[in-house]
Amino acid sequence: MGPYDSSISAAAGGSTSSSSSSACSSSTKPPDQMDHLLAGAGYKVRSNDLNQVAKRLEHLETVMVKSSPVDFSELVNDAVHYNPTDLASWVDSLLTELNTNVSGQPGPGTADLSDLRDFPAGPYGNGNVTQTGEFSQQAVTPLEEDVSIRLVHVLMTCAEAVQRGDLSLASLLIDDLQALLGRVNSGCGIGKVGSFFVDALSRRVVNSPQNGAVQVDLSAYENEILYHHYYEACPYLKFAHFTANQAILEAFDGQDCVHVIDFNLMQGLQWPALIQALALRPGGPPLLRLTGIGPPSLDGRDSLREIGLKLAELARSVNVRFAFRGVAASRLDDVKPWMLQVSPKEAVAVNSIMQLHKLLGPNSSRGPPIDLVLDWIQDLNPRILMVVEQESNHNQPEFLDRFTESLYYYSTMFDSLDACTAQPEKTLAELYIQREICNVVCCEGSARVERHEPLVRWRERLSRAGFAPLHLGSNAFKQARMLLTLFSAEGYSVEENEGCLTLGWHSRPLIAASAWQAVPKPSAATTGL
Amino acid sequence: MAGSNEINANEAKKVVPLHTWILISNFKLAYNMLRRPDGTFNRELAEFLDRKVSANAVPVDGVFSFDVVNRSTGLLNRIYRTAPPENDSGEGNVAGVLELEKPLSCSEIVPVILFFHGGSFSHSSANSAIYDSFCRRLTGLIQGVVVSVDYRRSPEHRYPCAYEDGWEALKWVHSRTWLSSGKERKVHVYLAGDSSGGNIAHHVAHRAATSNVEVLGNILLHPLFGGEQRMESEMKLDGKYFVKLQDRDWYWRAFLPEGEDRDHPACNIFGPRGSSLTGLSFPKSLVVVAGLDLVQDWQLGYVEGLRKSGQDVTLLFLEKATIGFYFLPNNEHFYTLMDKIKNFVRS
Repeated sequence: MGPYDSSISAAAGGSTSSSSSSACSSSTKPPDQMDHLLAGAGYKVRSNDLNQVAKRLEHLETVMVKSSPVDFSELVNDAVHYNPTDLASWVDSLLTELNTNVSGQPGPGTADLSDLRDFPAGPYGNGNVTQTGEFSQQAVTPLEEDVSIRLVHVLMTCAEAVQRGDLSLASLLIDDLQALLGRVNSGCGIGKVGSFFVDALSRRVVNSPQNGAVQVDLSAYENEILYHHYYEACPYLKFAHFTANQAILEAFDGQDCVHVIDFNLMQGLQWPALIQALALRPGGPPLLRLTGIGPPSLDGRDSLREIGLKLAELARSVNVRFAFRGVAASRLDDVKPWMLQVSPKEAVAVNSIMQLHKLLGPNSSRGPPIDLVLDWIQDLNPRILMVVEQESNHNQPEFLDRFTESLYYYSTMFDSLDACTAQPEKTLAELYIQREICNVVCCEGSARVERHEPLVRWRERLSRAGFAPLHLGSNAFKQARMLLTLFSAEGYSVEENEGCLTLGWHSRPLIAASAWQAVPKPSAATTGL
Repeated sequence: MAGSNEINANEAKKVVPLHTWILISNFKLAYNMLRRPDGTFNRELAEFLDRKVSANAVPVDGVFSFDVVNRSTGLLNRIYRTAPPENDSGEGNVAGVLELEKPLSCSEIVPVILFFHGGSFSHSSANSAIYDSFCRRLTGLIQGVVVSVDYRRSPEHRYPCAYEDGWEALKWVHSRTWLSSGKERKVHVYLAGDSSGGNIAHHVAHRAATSNVEVLGNILLHPLFGGEQRMESEMKLDGKYFVKLQDRDWYWRAFLPEGEDRDHPACNIFGPRGSSLTGLSFPKSLVVVAGLDLVQDWQLGYVEGLRKSGQDVTLLFLEKATIGFYFLPNNEHFYTLMDKIKNFVRS
C-alpha cells in the first residue's frame, strides 16, 4: 500500500474533469482514451495501458542494466527509433532490440515483475488537468519597432475590412499602409513581407477575386527560374526531396522493378540523388521507371521529355536501367490511372511535393478532386505515398483567418530567407513566395490553388482515404539535420512529429513530410454479403 | 550502494504516483542512452526523442504563448501570457501582436518570471512539452507573464555559455516596454529555474546584483549544485530515486571547463573557490528542495550560505518529493509548491 489512501482523496480531489473517476489509477476507461496527464508531457498512452507501460519500462531497465556494454552501445548507436510520442511502442521496440542482441531469442516473460499494487493509489486521479488540445501553429515575428507593430495592426484592420466587404475603407487603409511601408526598413523583416501583403491586399481590393486575373501568368520558363532560385536560397525543397528519397529508398528495399510517379516533375531536381543512391545499392540497382507529371507545354517545347532525357543520361552513366514517361496534365484530377501504365509486378512510389493541397478547391462534376485522386492512388497499391506539404492552415473558410495565418507563416519564412545572402537567389526566391502569398490572399474559387492545410488535417484525410502511416525514424531525422548543417544557416530546425518530420525556422515548423502506404481494401467476399 | 547497478525501482514506486513514475523513468532510460562514456552526447537522438510543442497564440485555459528570437543570441524566448478579456471587435486572434504595443498595465504591478528550463545543462529546450506545460501552469498561477528561454547546452557549449545566455535574456526582458507594468513603468522580473535552470538563475542573479540590474526574487526548484566532497545525501540516495551519482558527475564534467573539478565556483557556490555574497543586494530567494533528491545536501548548504551572507532566503523542504515532482499536477507537493510561488511573487 502506498502513502496515499482514499480518505485523503475524498477531501482533496478537486477534479474538474467529468471523465475523472475514483482515486484508483487503474479504473477502466473507454479503450481508446488517451491519458491527459502524459499528453501534456507530449506522450500518447492509452489510460488503460498505463500499468502495462510501467511494467515494460521496468523490464527495459532490467534488460539495459544486464546487457553487455557492447550490446548497449549497439542499441544506442544503431537502433532506429520511431515515433517517441507512442511511448508504449517505443519501449517495446527497445526491448525487442535488446532482447535480440542479448540472447538472439525473445526475452524473458513478465512473470518476475513487481506487483502493481506497489503503486500508490494517487488521490488526484487521472483526469484532473484539462488538456491543451491541438495547437494552431502561430508564431510572431520579433516586432520591436513601433512602426512595425503599427504596420501589422493596420494590415489586420484592412483585412478585416475586406472580409466585411467595406472596400472603400480598405482602400484608405491601403494608402496608410503604403505610407507606413515607407517608414520601415523594407529590406528585411516585417517591412519586406509586409510589402507583399499590402500588394496582395491592394490587388484584391482593385480586382474582383473571382476572375483570377489578379496575377500575370508567368511563362513556364519564368516559373522554372523562380522555382530554381527558391530551391537554392532556402532548404525547404531540398529537405522535401531528401526526406522523400530516403523513405522511397527504404520502401524499395529488395525490389527489382520500381516505379516512381512524380506529381510535379518541374526540373526533376529530386531524381539525380535517388538514381545515384539506387546505383550504389548493395546487390545492385533495380530497373527504375519514372513517370513525371507536369503541365502541358504551351510554347511547343516538350519540357517533360527534355528532363526525362537528361535523367536518362545520368542513369546511363551510373548503370541504372531507366525508363521515363511524361504525362502532361494541367490538373492532377485530369490524370487517369491508365496513363501511368503501372504494372502489377512493380513496386510503386507516389511522390507528391506541395501538390495535394491544390486539389482542395471546389468540387468538379465528378466530386471532390482530392478524393478522386486519393482513390486512384489507392488503386495503384503503392508501397509508399510520400506527401510533403506547407505546415499551415491557409484554407480556412473565413478570409481574415487565412490572412492572419498566412501573415505569420510567410513572415517566418521570410525571416528564414534573411539568412540567405546570395543574390539573385534571394530576390527571385522572394518572388516565388510572393506568388503563393498573392494566391492565398487575392484569389477565390478554383483560382485559389494554394490551399495549404496542416499535418493534423492531412493525417485525418489520408487515414479516411485508406492510408496507414509509415513512420519516418531517427535515421531520417539525423540525416535531415546533417543536410541542414551542410547547406543552411543557423536557425533552421528539424523536428519529429508522431512519425513525421517537419522543417521550420526556430520553433515554427513550415514544411511537413509524411509517408503512407495503402491499406488493402477489404474484398467484397469478406463482407458476408 | 554508491556505484552499484542494483535497481531501486521498488523504492521510487512507493512514493510517486503511477504517471510520474512512468514519465521520470522514461526520461531516465532515454537519458542513459544519450550520455556516452567518453563524455560526448548523442544530440541527434536527444532532439529526436524530445517531445516539443509549438507556441499557441490562441488561449488555452486562459494562457497563450508566442515565440520571439533574441536577435543578439539567436536563441528562442517563449512568452506566456494570460488572455486579455474578449473585446467586441473580435480581435482575439491577434491579441499577441496588438498587446506588444503597450505595457502590461499602467496601474498594477504584473510579475514577469524569467524561467530557465532544467536538464542538467544538456537536455531539453524552452519548447519541450514538459516545460511548456509547466510554464503555462505557472502563468495561470501568478496571473502574470512567464518568459521561458533557451540557452546553449553542454557538452557542446560549456561554462560560461549558459550564464551568458541567461544574462542576455535578463537584459532582453528588462528592455521590453511591453513587459513593463506599474506606475514606475518598469519590468518586474523574477528569476526561476529547475535543476540546471536553478543554477543559472543563481548566477544571473549574482551578476545582476553586481551590475545594479534589478531582480525582485529568485525561485530555485531543486537547483543543481555540487562539489568534490561526497555528501551524506549523495551516498544514501545514490540510485534510489531515478538518479545515480555517476550521472550527476557526468553532467558536471560535460558542463565545467575541461580539467576542472566540482569545486569550481559555478558548481560549488559557497565552496573554497566561491565568492562572497555578503553585502550584495542579492534578490530574496525561494529554494525548493526535494527530500528524495540526492543533491539536497548541496542545496541545503546553499540555503545556509545565503543566510550566513545576510541574504533573504526561504526554504521549502518537501520531504517525500522526488526530482521532477512538479511536471505533473498529480501530487500534493505540486500544489504546495504552486501556493508558495504565488505568495512569493505577490509579497
